Amino acid sequence: MNLTIEFEGAAWPLELSREGEEWRFRLRGADERCALVRQAEPDVYSVLLDGRSYDARIEEAPEGLVVVIAGHRFEIGVRDPRRLSRKHAGLGQEGRQNVTAPMPGKVVRVLVSPGDEVAAGQGLLVVEAMKMQNELKALRRGRVETIAAREGATVTAGEVLATIA
Amino acid sequence: MFEKVLIANRGEIAVRVIRTLREMGIGSVAVYSDADRTSLHVRMADEAAYLGASPSSESYLRIERILDAARKHGAEAIHPGYGFLSENAEFAAACADAGVVFIGPSAESIRAMGSKTEARRVAIAAGAPVVPGITTGLRDGAQARQLAREFGYPVLLKAVGGGGGKGMRRVDREEEIEAAFRDASSEAERSFRNAEVYLEKLIEKPRHIEIQLLGDRYGNLIHLGERECSLQRRHQKVVEECPSPLVARTPGMREKMGEAAVRAARAAGYYNAGTVEFLVDADCNFYFLEMNTRLQVEHPVTELVTGLDLVRLQLEIAAGEKLGLGQEDIHWRGSAIECRVYAEDPYNNFFPSPGTITRLTRPSGPGIRLDGCVYDGWTVPIDYDPLLAKLAVWAATRDDAIARMLRALGEYDVGGIKTNLGFFRRILDDPAFRGGHLHTQFIDEFLARGGLAESAAPDVPLEVAALVAAIHTLAQTPAANGNGQRADGLSPWLQTGRSELLR
Repeated sequence: MNLTIEFEGAAWPLELSREGEEWRFRLRGADERCALVRQAEPDVYSVLLDGRSYDARIEEAPEGLVVVIAGHRFEIGVRDPRRLSRKHAGLGQEGRQNVTAPMPGKVVRVLVSPGDEVAAGQGLLVVEAMKMQNELKALRRGRVETIAAREGATVTAGEVLATIA
Repeated sequence: MFEKVLIANRGEIAVRVIRTLREMGIGSVAVYSDADRTSLHVRMADEAAYLGASPSSESYLRIERILDAARKHGAEAIHPGYGFLSENAEFAAACADAGVVFIGPSAESIRAMGSKTEARRVAIAAGAPVVPGITTGLRDGAQARQLAREFGYPVLLKAVGGGGGKGMRRVDREEEIEAAFRDASSEAERSFRNAEVYLEKLIEKPRHIEIQLLGDRYGNLIHLGERECSLQRRHQKVVEECPSPLVARTPGMREKMGEAAVRAARAAGYYNAGTVEFLVDADCNFYFLEMNTRLQVEHPVTELVTGLDLVRLQLEIAAGEKLGLGQEDIHWRGSAIECRVYAEDPYNNFFPSPGTITRLTRPSGPGIRLDGCVYDGWTVPIDYDPLLAKLAVWAATRDDAIARMLRALGEYDVGGIKTNLGFFRRILDDPAFRGGHLHTQFIDEFLARGGLAESAAPDVPLEVAALVAAIHTLAQTPAANGNGQRADGLSPWLQTGRSELLR
């Protein structure tokens, strides 16, 4: 199978195939390599490659995946190039972007209205939780389609507060 | 000794106190709010009493409810922990009125040391150095000039009636002082309708070093050395160590600071455990800042280096026993460092990250101490300070302790929520930290210069991360979104293969 790996602004092809625990893969057209991969715990993978052992933990982030190996953080996007939409709709250049509450809290300010054009990184609304205010930003340029959040409303984690088309 | 003690607190400190109570064969009574019904302190305690709703104003700050619980469960003494009611003189007095021993100093000592101006007065009277300055209004620019010359530049002009930086001026040179006085004074007048301005010496990039004290009710008072707590973010300590790298290389400094702290505490008639905080300038001059009349969050580093159990000593003192230790019995061995592990996201402006812990691996092995309150499956409540645990290490030298802490941070894995473990990893790897060049603006400067950014990882190939990201993406099986379309954009043949993946 062929996937596209996004890392630090670049997109690289990843070819991979699997037989049992053995994964053969080729990144960026480099030589094919073979790794033994097993899931050890939820979101934790044990990888043996060229006799070396790596413990990789996955964190889901709005921008994609964060893979942590020996304390080093890799922010990586995975895309199936034959599909337009990505696994993580939040980052997509196409399609709708859902802005969700990262944690339970209260909406203290709504900074945009439906129909507004927003730039990547522009603040959309402010959610307060545990006495801290967090500005939720647009991940990319677009037009505000809906604002579900009302100022003063209590929201739960994962609740869609706004959509950007 | 007591037979049963109530802990008027929650989280890791309640767990910490219960551990010593159990070792001493003393019964423990936990208190809890709605949010804490299944928290570790409730599960570990012998008995538990419900206080009220989750907000601390409805539970952990309710003096009457806590005393009712103590009466109902027959607890003879109350350990307040830190925070909540621990430095509340009214609570200490209410315990005494109810015939329950408050494990801490007297209400009078808490009152005296709780007011900054009163504490400063006590410290001056006891001969402890304070930040040079006057706390009453200056007459005019000429007086400001004269005092600034006396204290030495830079100085800080501050509004008597104010705060928040209004009416405040930093002055570096004598030529600027009179103009700065006029500016500060008129700004203070506009902001607070009070033109009065006072002056104090500005301590640049100070270190925060504190002295642990211990005293009984019979006038025996000793110090247990210092803790360096210069690494702070938003005035919250995040990394603490003993010994302080500065004190360790400055002969006689520990003794001088210790004696000054003992004198100030003695003047306040202090007993039980307490801490005197000092600001320290680049020339090793130290100035009394304030006194904390309770057990400190960071007490484990002192315990690791002195080999003492501060909670046990607190209990013995509260039970009326004499301090069995003299100053000559206190010895410091090796080096200890503590990191405060919070449920917060250092990569998103340290935003709190409460939620359910889905995976937990604790560091262990030589020289590790973990004071925590979390378990796999526990939900970090949104109602309280998101401190999950204090990770402390001990080793023979500071360099060894840093290496050990990095090793422990690597073993520590908390899934389901974000933590600041990665932040500590970067701090402990920082050359300025390793060199012991610490001050209270260290973390702000560290973040400003991009200290959190990843360095190159030559020992971890990107290929491994990319492979794992791809496999993880394939292994997940999100439900169809109802329109018959896949929500994840994966092709059907990948889905077919997925059931065989990663068995």
